[in-house]
Amino acid sequence: MLDIRPPDLRAGASRRDFLRAGSLAVAGINLPGLLAGEKGTSERSCIVIFQHGGASQIDTFDPKPEAVADIRGSFKDIPTAIPGVHFSELMPRSAKAATTFSVIRSMHSDEAIHERARQYVFSGTKPRNELLQPSYGSILAKEWGPRNGLPPFVAVPNSDLAAEAGFLGPTYDPFVSGDPNTEDFSVKDLTLPGGVNLDEARTRSDLLAALDDQFQSAANSPLIDSMGEYYQKAFDLISSPAAKKAFDISEEPDKLRDAYGRTTVGQGALLARRLVEAGVRLSTVFHWGYDTHVQNEPRNRELVPEFDRAFTALLEDLEQRNLLETTLVVVLGDFGRTPKINFSGGRDHWPGAFSVALAGAGIQGGRVVGKTDKHAAHPINRPVSVEDLGATVYKALGISYRKNYHAGGRPIAINKEGHPVEELWS
Amino acid sequence: MSPRSGLSNYSGLPWPSREFVTCFWNRLAGERLETAEAVRMAAVVLAAVITSVSAQAESARLVSLRLEPREIVLAGPGMSQEFLVSGVDSIGNETDVTRMCAVTSSNPDVVTVDARESLLTGRVEGRSEIRAELGSLVAKTTVSVGSDAREMTVSFTPDIVSILTLKGCNGSSCHGSPVGQSGFKLSLFGYDIAADHEMIVKAHEGRRIDLARPRESLLLRKPTFEEAHGGGRLMTVDSEEYEAILSWLNQGAPIDTRGVQLERLELYPGERVLVGPGTQQRMVAMGRLSDGSTRDMTRQVRYFANNEAIAEVSAEGTLRASGAGLTTVMARAMGKVATSQIGVIEARAERDYPPYEGYGVIDEAVFAKLRQLDVRPARLASGREFARRVYLDATGLLPTPGQLRAFLYDPRPDKRSRLIDHLLERPEHASLWTVRFEDWFRNSQLHSQGRSMGVFKDWVRGWLEQDRPYDDFVRTLLTSLGDTMLNPGANFWHPATDFMLKEFSVTKATPTVSRLFLGVRMECAECHNHPLENFTQDDFYGLAAFFARLRVKHGYGEYRRTWYLDEEGEIEHPATKEQVRPRFLGAEAPTIAEGQDRRAVLAEWIVSPDNPYFAKATVNRIWYQYFGTGIVEPYDDFRSTNRPSNPQLLDQLADFFIASGYRLKPLHRLILNSRTYQFSSKSDSPGPLDAALFARYIPRRLQAEVLLDVLGQVTGIPHAFDGYPAGTSAKDIYVPDGPDYFLVTFGLPRRDILKERVQSPTLSQALHLMNGESVRDKVEARNNILGELLGQDLEDTQVVAGIYERAYARPPTEAEIVRITGFLATEHTAGRSRRRAFENVLWAVLNSKEFQLNH
Repeated sequence: MLDIRPPDLRAGASRRDFLRAGSLAVAGINLPGLLAGEKGTSERSCIVIFQHGGASQIDTFDPKPEAVADIRGSFKDIPTAIPGVHFSELMPRSAKAATTFSVIRSMHSDEAIHERARQYVFSGTKPRNELLQPSYGSILAKEWGPRNGLPPFVAVPNSDLAAEAGFLGPTYDPFVSGDPNTEDFSVKDLTLPGGVNLDEARTRSDLLAALDDQFQSAANSPLIDSMGEYYQKAFDLISSPAAKKAFDISEEPDKLRDAYGRTTVGQGALLARRLVEAGVRLSTVFHWGYDTHVQNEPRNRELVPEFDRAFTALLEDLEQRNLLETTLVVVLGDFGRTPKINFSGGRDHWPGAFSVALAGAGIQGGRVVGKTDKHAAHPINRPVSVEDLGATVYKALGISYRKNYHAGGRPIAINKEGHPVEELWS
Repeated sequence: MSPRSGLSNYSGLPWPSREFVTCFWNRLAGERLETAEAVRMAAVVLAAVITSVSAQAESARLVSLRLEPREIVLAGPGMSQEFLVSGVDSIGNETDVTRMCAVTSSNPDVVTVDARESLLTGRVEGRSEIRAELGSLVAKTTVSVGSDAREMTVSFTPDIVSILTLKGCNGSSCHGSPVGQSGFKLSLFGYDIAADHEMIVKAHEGRRIDLARPRESLLLRKPTFEEAHGGGRLMTVDSEEYEAILSWLNQGAPIDTRGVQLERLELYPGERVLVGPGTQQRMVAMGRLSDGSTRDMTRQVRYFANNEAIAEVSAEGTLRASGAGLTTVMARAMGKVATSQIGVIEARAERDYPPYEGYGVIDEAVFAKLRQLDVRPARLASGREFARRVYLDATGLLPTPGQLRAFLYDPRPDKRSRLIDHLLERPEHASLWTVRFEDWFRNSQLHSQGRSMGVFKDWVRGWLEQDRPYDDFVRTLLTSLGDTMLNPGANFWHPATDFMLKEFSVTKATPTVSRLFLGVRMECAECHNHPLENFTQDDFYGLAAFFARLRVKHGYGEYRRTWYLDEEGEIEHPATKEQVRPRFLGAEAPTIAEGQDRRAVLAEWIVSPDNPYFAKATVNRIWYQYFGTGIVEPYDDFRSTNRPSNPQLLDQLADFFIASGYRLKPLHRLILNSRTYQFSSKSDSPGPLDAALFARYIPRRLQAEVLLDVLGQVTGIPHAFDGYPAGTSAKDIYVPDGPDYFLVTFGLPRRDILKERVQSPTLSQALHLMNGESVRDKVEARNNILGELLGQDLEDTQVVAGIYERAYARPPTEAEIVRITGFLATEHTAGRSRRRAFENVLWAVLNSKEFQLNH
């Protein structure tokens, strides 16, 4: 599905549009002609580490050591490499590496329900009743298409309803990797069934092509062409050593794998690095479990250090490979959590203020944007909206975000009203 | 036009064509089984041969003329109206003959005719009949001329606002964008009159107008580019628009909206087929005003062609054909729109055309349209093609080899109808349509309503199985209340709640009800007047007011909810802040008794046979399921600016649906029995209009549940769903908490408002079918179809035939036998076993498009 335009597509334009959608998606490996056409599109990529459920701003990037105990929480604050800036003690590595990334402490939203909040932060556009805005990865998939035959948008280890293509349609939905932190990790359906080697796969695919050819010539339709293109693309992916390699995390030295942490977010971040290195445009790494309505302390004691290790290892790894210049790393979650700890020892949903970290793709390190009040409940200066975050992400990636798509018969901007947080570049 | 007269007068190649006869004899020879069909065709051929003798003698000639606009009412002497004369030929094609006619006025003192400019001008008060003559054909219209030559008062609305619209000032890419442009912000297409007036007259210290020196106003200097303007020069100082704005400023720039208003806009010709790119057609627009007079608005409307690759229209109203296809041309002024449907064909091939009398309402309408646009219909699908297709469409299953044979060997002449009747009574038919209605009614787990989802599914299925009238069904849904476990219909309201199911939102219910039962998309009108339609925010909230008193509360148990009516509760209009009275869409506000359920009043109006939308919206939805393209497309987007590709077809189906008591099965039966449904998917001359006009059967993807079922059917290894007995159809499962990977990957929607079923192919689908367990496990299972076939003492070709019959409902061709035998030999050489080699053949068949599509 490409532009969802008003009527009359069916007559003249539908086939052409359909093929355009198809060929955009198929521009991949083994198709040198199409590859040539990719020149000039952005060489940037993006990794989103998503704190699923919404991390506590106080227990991560915005501690409030002066606040009373049931706001301050159980964790102390520690100094960081930036004078005067403190993080939670659960993030010693991030504290040490604080000059390599920037933090926006004054993020605010008004969506307190997970689903809607995630749709909001994943698109930078306020969720609507009737239309689902495409998430960042889907926009990149549409704007840039695939590179090196790899799917442009990959979700690690699984997908979330909010991080989908919305009105752009399933063509731009993420490709799901599965959990790389498992014994014999392999991507679903990407490897040939046991016992079938590439030669056998090729022979039977040739047979399939022969069967299809005859049918196709009789019943001509754009749908049939498009299905054929996806089969070709799927076969290219299966038979491409580069794709196989990109997903094969076992190639990484044990030492590096340990540095990321043998956790889903750790190995997920490492896989994401391999993927963007190989050509994926955007990879979202979901770190599940931040919805700490109960047991805020023990759960954060587990989650935040996992994140801390994965995040800092990723930044260092990207830096060493000269990928940080071209790769935007974003850390975000649904929203923040209530300053006050509840009677179950948990923190509840809090969109009033939350923190986001960004690095790479030209964004300066060591900036701390905005400030929250003494309870980390609301921004007290330089409030940054979710729309602004969206504009910031698109600016870093070089996407012209005021551009309109057509959906439901009307123009809808990628990002309508956000303004990039310019301090991150100065 | 009657199709019969159309045929006898049509000048084409001699009918029947050699090709048709060849095909006919081939079919007699090749498919002896369908003898009755053959006999019927023989009769048709004979009749056609006789007819063609006389048909050849005559040329395609005009049979009538039409002079438009009708009933012109000029306000006073000096006012004019452009006119148009159309000639209609024997098969219903219309051409512009304005220049070829002699046009006279019965009373030249009152109205004069300017033939060169096609203009009628009033001279004195009075009345005159205008007569256009071409040969023996005559068409008439009347013109009355009033005494009043007074111009319409220029008022802010509609005049000034319509100029802003006409010039694109308040469009979404200029000042109508949500953030305005360069500090000047207008409401989109002028939906917020007060705000626009405020912005123009008062905002920013009133800098945009200068009442003392009106010509110095920015409002005039910017669009004339006397002052730099990002939007460029939009008008000149000697233009009518300039004069209108100036005159309004001279009056003191009031907001009052008194004065004569535009009530309706008419656009001529309403329909036209242009032959050959480059062909031109003059468009004429006329407004009917609130004082009863008419006004020539040909040069005062803004024209749009929906698809400029088909036709373009100049600012002055000259339409020019660009390429073959069908498009809508729209004229817009002062908040009103009018449309015209324009078809463009390359050339009239004047080719033979099959007769279509006696086929029933669907085929008559489809064939008439095909003929009008010179599109050649496909041949009738063969018995095997038909059987595979109708089994899939009616039951979501493939015919088994036994069922296929029984059909093919059935000697009865009406065996297709008999099969259709049989299949419509199968429980699988109800299962299949239950899934579709669940999609439409958004029966989902999303809102945590848990078990009641199954209650709703069973209830929907019950209605369909018994084929209870759809109007009752809708009435019951719309008035449902109570505990969702005990009153299944109440689940209908769930998607209109927030995530936690605590609050009901009328703004979610309103567009859902409107789309489902009226086929009208009202989402835009929640926030602004519909830019492409005469629907406004008032219409949206008028409809919303019917749901103003619906409430929901926790029921017994965590997942249960109870729906009830509050005694009070009103809707407030977001712009006027006034309380909104319930009002039917585009119709009157009913009187509702105290204590009466407003929804019941709405339901009665919706399902009434007089409602212009309900029956059409419903038949179009059903039609879409069979053809993949609605007669109105998208199927739930009815508006005057999105016209049906075949209005006669839509009307006929709607009338039939009403006449059959709103029962769905007669409608299914009618569609499946039509020749249109039974067209082959193959065409010798595929064209761009095939899909829109239903000229052949366009291959469609199988929906997720059906694909999964037939994978099980062909391999003999049905998909196993957790907690369900072996062999349960994917159509019959209640969507489990962890939805099935296959179903979700192939398009099972979340069924919330944001996620409808989308059937487009994806990479994950291709990978899953190639490598995933859904195909792999079934291909490799020892007890599958290969186990059965290889266990018998069969030749390779017989095994291939067995697979083909199950998957494709046909025997392999010679060429396919050669190809597959070759493949088996290669496999043998590569050291793979016979079983393994056939697994690969089965894999290829299951991955083939011929298997995965209904065609």
